[in-house]
Amino acid sequence: MADTDTTAQVPVTVLTGYLGAGKTTLLNRILSENHGRRFAVVINEFGELGVDNDLVVDADEEVFEMNNGCICCTVRGDLIRIIGGLMRRKGRFDGIIVETTGLADPAPVAQTFFVDEDVKRATRLDAIVTVVDAKHLPARLKDSSEAQEQIAFADIIVLNKMDLVAPAEADEVERMIKAINPYAEIRRSTKSDVPLDAVIGRDAFNLARILEREPEFLSGEDHHEHDSEVNSVSFEVSRPIDAERFNAWISRLLQEKGQDLLRTKGILHYAGDRRRFAFQAVHMIADGDYIGEAKEGDPRRSKIVFIGRDLNRPQLRRGFEACQVDA
Amino acid sequence: MAAVSEADFLLASRGVAKELGAWVAGAVFDRAGRLAFALADGTLHRHAEEGDWPVAVAHEGGLLSACADAKDGWLSGGDDGRLVRVAPDGMVTQIADYRGKWVDHVAAHEAGVRAAAVGKAVHVLGVAGAALKSLAHPSSPGGICFDAKGKRVAVSHYNGASLWFVGAKEDKPRLLEWKGSHHAIAFSPDGTHVVTAMQEPSLHGWRLADGQHMRMSGYPTKTKSLAFTARGRWLATSGAESVVLWPFFGGGPMGKAPTELAGGDEVMCSAVACHPQHEVVAAGFGDGLVLITEVASGKVVPVAPPRGSAVSALAWDAAGARLAFGTEAGFAGFVDLSRR
Repeated sequence: MADTDTTAQVPVTVLTGYLGAGKTTLLNRILSENHGRRFAVVINEFGELGVDNDLVVDADEEVFEMNNGCICCTVRGDLIRIIGGLMRRKGRFDGIIVETTGLADPAPVAQTFFVDEDVKRATRLDAIVTVVDAKHLPARLKDSSEAQEQIAFADIIVLNKMDLVAPAEADEVERMIKAINPYAEIRRSTKSDVPLDAVIGRDAFNLARILEREPEFLSGEDHHEHDSEVNSVSFEVSRPIDAERFNAWISRLLQEKGQDLLRTKGILHYAGDRRRFAFQAVHMIADGDYIGEAKEGDPRRSKIVFIGRDLNRPQLRRGFEACQVDA
Repeated sequence: MAAVSEADFLLASRGVAKELGAWVAGAVFDRAGRLAFALADGTLHRHAEEGDWPVAVAHEGGLLSACADAKDGWLSGGDDGRLVRVAPDGMVTQIADYRGKWVDHVAAHEAGVRAAAVGKAVHVLGVAGAALKSLAHPSSPGGICFDAKGKRVAVSHYNGASLWFVGAKEDKPRLLEWKGSHHAIAFSPDGTHVVTAMQEPSLHGWRLADGQHMRMSGYPTKTKSLAFTARGRWLATSGAESVVLWPFFGGGPMGKAPTELAGGDEVMCSAVACHPQHEVVAAGFGDGLVLITEVASGKVVPVAPPRGSAVSALAWDAAGARLAFGTEAGFAGFVDLSRR
């Protein structure tokens, strides 16, 4: 008799958000909803969590630098330890939720899922969900780099406390969010009342879905009135990509500018290959794979998105364009 | 091992094994040679010659770490925050409750001392259960171990390891510094070296006499299991597609290449255990294969065939006659090598 399969990956949802944005309310909502799923929840302080079937793990955020010559490569040591312990008892829960402290930079959490071999084997990052306070976000974005990073890293943004803002104010906040991260899905809410399936089971880090959502750029590529240091740029090219040129360019770029590049995503059509290549990076840590062929008749355009600080748009554009095969 | 038939494995002729149903966190012989398997579901299964193996429920949640208790029986820590003793007759006694925190690592020494890593602290307790001291660390310990005499406890953590004298009046550690996150830790049998396994993946060692650093690298995956051979000449380690042994003699391991044994199957070694007397190493692999290999000759003796799940626990008894093993999927057993 063969041993039972222990390889199924457990989905992990990372819940971030500035202090007072409504993170704990959302967590309580997820845990108390009658969904029949059991979660292991990693939190930083025991709050008033209503948990019966769920396992709550109290952790201190321990951010460790990796000794791999990459200064921005940090991981959450406590998560590696905790996930290692939880994975010995698979079947006890259906998913893991990691709540970060309000002032946390989401990068170490995200990088943990790319860097640690055991965590990678046992789990997959499902989505980074950021809860923001519609009323106070504009002020936070001005004075807090963490608040900007939490938006930049988000796959889903719960725009909370909608009851406290006028419709025009809400639209303005959405515009600010999209200027930082046009790829995040925004869910407006009051008292964090979003449906569970809006935040759990999103599979947002799946390479095959990486650029599935078309960004909602509000003003084309010309939104130059920056509300925050963190911005995004995206480029599309029509000629096939030369794999060698792209690899050389992106490796050097991530090496040199990785600290400022928070998230990078791309879908590439390599010359002579019918398949599409999906690519993503968190700071300097990159991951990529073929994700199947493009639909017959679809334009074979390659696309890349950068979310980060001090993005040199013309330079990035020239760099990406030069990765195409010669015309 | 592909050409080896089931019957060639020692388990078939000299062993006993069972499906226990949960991740084997520890195969542990107590000080009197009684064998028990500590499972991640919180239970401890004691081997019995006849009939079913009695089960003790040590933890309400998951069991994270287990070892032989100081005098007899077993000691375990769990994610229920409890430090628990299971007596040879199976009676479970709670020694301490650190509610809200995980008891990640436990260790004990026959000199009559126990240690439990909880949060960022290592609590030192006596055999009667009294808390003797609480040692604070800059981050959560990745591993703890006593030296051969039970006088010092070494604790690995972020950016190095701390060395504490258990009986010291004033608790001030000797800090062994090295940048990075350190996990599994081992003392050389003569107490002159401390070695840790790192996140990177590589090993780091310190020669305690002069603080000399030793870097041992080249692993494809993290080393989770490391052990010195009986007289401390070799350090056996997991984390590669063979058993990697570093020489701790003739000026090594600095500038020396490690010896690699029992490789060739392209499966990672997941656990090692050194024979208590001879330069013989038992190794478990990612596919469940267990084998014994002699360092001098490199000769390999197959113990248990691969069943698909990684070996997560491996231990010799003090006499070196029995070798116990367990896998992540809960298959556990032992072989008896004593003369018949």
